[in-house]
Amino acid sequence: MAKTYHALVCCRAGMGSSMMLKIKCDQVIKEEGLPIETEHGNLDSLIGFNGDLVITMSDLTDELNADSRVPSAVGITNIVDKNEIKEKLSAWVAEHAE
Amino acid sequence: MLSDLLDESLVLLDVEASDWEDAIRKAAQPLVDNKKVTPSYVDDIIKGVNELGPYIVITEHVALPHARPESGALESAVGIVTLKEPVEFGSADNDPVKYLFPLSAKDNDSHLGALQSLVELLSDPDFFAQLDSASTPKDVVDLVHAKEGRM
Repeated sequence: MAKTYHALVCCRAGMGSSMMLKIKCDQVIKEEGLPIETEHGNLDSLIGFNGDLVITMSDLTDELNADSRVPSAVGITNIVDKNEIKEKLSAWVAEHAE
Repeated sequence: MLSDLLDESLVLLDVEASDWEDAIRKAAQPLVDNKKVTPSYVDDIIKGVNELGPYIVITEHVALPHARPESGALESAVGIVTLKEPVEFGSADNDPVKYLFPLSAKDNDSHLGALQSLVELLSDPDFFAQLDSASTPKDVVDLVHAKEGRM
């Protein structure tokens, strides 16, 4: 069976933008049948996170990629743009497929 | 539903703001006045942007000013604010900001439905066209009700 990747969708507060980003990512994942399951949280959720991917707002990506606890971070610029989310998540999956 | 967290007292139209911080403070003031958040919550929004950049600018021309619940969220609420003249937030892709949706989130789950509606509204170009032509806070609240009724 193909692997399902585990993603944390997070922002600083874990309340507003990350929740909305998760809603939109889940729509895209479902429509495209991407092998990703998501949970959401704030930056503190990174402590103990042992999934594969962190999805966040693009302004936070550099900060997260510099964090050793983050396996890999994908930044989304426009959270209502399904095409952007689709392209970035599909590219990530293609890159990590075994 | 977004309508449950929004009322006319949280809507401001054609606000004049000198910069991003002024825009956030003016947009969030009704939340303070209506005891939805404490003044320290607004300070934490500003602090977040200063530390991490304009990550609250989530799509073209739209900012979602919000902070950590523990910094002073008293009751879940969403405001809708339009600026007379758009201001720069320093967002490479989504500047300038004309619409602000200040958010107070008391806990993780109670506002999930509201955020779901908000995401759909932000995906709807027609919503912004109608928001631009709204002349009173009541028009805006009625618009959200109408949109949600159709969702």
